[in-house]
Amino acid sequence: MSYTSLIHAPWRAEPDNDTSMPDAWCQASELLPRVDAWRVWLEEQPKGRWLLFEPDPAAFTAALLALWETGRSAVLASDDRDETMTHLTQQVDGRIQGAPPPAASTPPPPLAIDAQTEAVVLYTSGSTGEPAMHAKSFEQLANELNCHAELWPMEHHAVISQVSHQHIYGLLTGILRPLCHGIPFCGADSRYPEPMAARLGEARATNRQPLLVSSPPQLSRLPEHIDWQSSAPWQVLSSGAPLSRADARRCEQLFQAPVIEIYGSTETGGIAWRRQSQSAAWQPMPGVETRETDGLLELRSPFLPREYQPPGRWWPQQDRIETCTEGFRLLGRADRVAKVAGKRISLTAIEGHLTQLSQVEAAHCCDLDRRDGRIGVVVALPGDQAPWDHEVRRQLIRQMREQLSTLLEAVAIPRYWRFVERIPTNRQGKLDRAEIQRLFADLDNERSARWLGESTNGEGQCCITLEVPERLCYLEGHFTDFPLVPGVVLVQWAVEHARRSFNEPVEFRGVERLKFQKVVRPGQRLVLSLTRKADSIGFSYDSPQGRHAAGRIRLAAERLNG
Amino acid sequence: MSETQQLSHDLKCMIIETLELEDITPEDIDDQAPLFGEGLGLDSIDALELGLALQKRYGIKLDAEAEDTRRHFESLAALQALVEERRVN
Repeated sequence: MSYTSLIHAPWRAEPDNDTSMPDAWCQASELLPRVDAWRVWLEEQPKGRWLLFEPDPAAFTAALLALWETGRSAVLASDDRDETMTHLTQQVDGRIQGAPPPAASTPPPPLAIDAQTEAVVLYTSGSTGEPAMHAKSFEQLANELNCHAELWPMEHHAVISQVSHQHIYGLLTGILRPLCHGIPFCGADSRYPEPMAARLGEARATNRQPLLVSSPPQLSRLPEHIDWQSSAPWQVLSSGAPLSRADARRCEQLFQAPVIEIYGSTETGGIAWRRQSQSAAWQPMPGVETRETDGLLELRSPFLPREYQPPGRWWPQQDRIETCTEGFRLLGRADRVAKVAGKRISLTAIEGHLTQLSQVEAAHCCDLDRRDGRIGVVVALPGDQAPWDHEVRRQLIRQMREQLSTLLEAVAIPRYWRFVERIPTNRQGKLDRAEIQRLFADLDNERSARWLGESTNGEGQCCITLEVPERLCYLEGHFTDFPLVPGVVLVQWAVEHARRSFNEPVEFRGVERLKFQKVVRPGQRLVLSLTRKADSIGFSYDSPQGRHAAGRIRLAAERLNG
Repeated sequence: MSETQQLSHDLKCMIIETLELEDITPEDIDDQAPLFGEGLGLDSIDALELGLALQKRYGIKLDAEAEDTRRHFESLAALQALVEERRVN
């Protein structure tokens, strides 16, 4: 079947040839009995907006088409946590789920699609954390599908989706595009690489060219042991976040197929695309106009609602860009939204949820730009509530994670936690990049203590809060059944921190009056006190348990004279 | 340490290192407790990472049946059973 616009209900078109596909696949022609059964049931139900959350693509598509053919629109929840469902249920006219009851009568003829009416309602995490609602008309969806069909034509293809169709990108590329082309599609369990490879093989076995709809979390974690040569996709689409250059290159090598990235958002739809092996620049999608204003992207697009596009009006984005001949380069977000596993996560929202917890005085979330994409958080607690050992800290994190898990999706919950007495700031009173790097430096340096803030009390005196990371390399073999921080490491840390805090070279000439009074175990929180004297630096490590260690670092003679 | 205990310890270390669980030590992971959801609180991205680590370290290729994959990741004990049965190195 050739391409039919969404407006003309392509799922009702006669299929050219009905290749039968294995169980995991679905095709429009096979879904129609289910669509019709739903339509009979819906006759007795209220009209309006209906909530739809269905991970199985066949069940999802049957319910979606039934809503559309009866003049209803679908509210697509992005997850099915109780809180999300309770909240959305109050705003809709009904919820469609599971399988339709057996039809007791013949369904009425399906209603024609009215291009100007609402097709779906989607939700995203807004920058303030309040979920933002985005309604899309059939015309908007059709414009975007037409554009994809023009850029990447399909005929004897099959679509394998690794992303959720509850979001705009998965809905357009994983469900609606195959419907418009009358080709088989599958999803759900193919988000894992092994079932995905099996589906690729099935598509090849039926002489179809498989199009893989994926996203950076999956493409950056492709196992190499699978024989991708014999089950390679014909083309890969990726969206949700930019792929790193290395991952884009590796995917093309593994698959020997083009990897096309689409950049866009729920609100704007697709904005631009690129094939990174050819250029890092993003080219606007056909029909989309882009420009840069004050470093930020602005656009006009046929995928935006009509009311957003009065003549002369440009729609602003929070993405920083730099224009170039082919289009533009993305430089990062201007607001406090991070992308984790392709999902927009409002850092402000996580902070808001955390500060609702009774003991939390302040919280600051940060995107650490790590390969894993996970979020870090700095949490200020009253001094007497700081976790002083491994067990207390672990329980505290677990408790906070549990409380957040009712409010946030799992991937949005911070992975790296730093508990401080006050949020550290620079001289301008801000928590800047340097402080954040210092707080999380131990993630990449297994030799250092975790720094949690410091204060200088008068000339030459300094108190630094430290924590012993559980993964400190010095704990290895010292001792296997009872890991302890070796005394020499405590001395070394004192020297390093003295250098930094007193901003001088601190030429180590020995240590005297050394006392180790209490063991220092992994997870232990300590206060390192440093006192600058003429010929030495005194140090001590203390915790509520008492003094752990103390001593005096002798300095080089020239310092003595100077 | 017996061979079984050693494997259990190695797997715990693998999970901690692969997923950078900085507040967890091997002793904190209960053999029977769920790894995902409550318990260790791992998610779908972690499942992908663990799949890669199992292949790298033990040469284990996971099945195409996603249900199976999820069953193996249910708890440390289930993961250990998988490694004992399927390891190639």
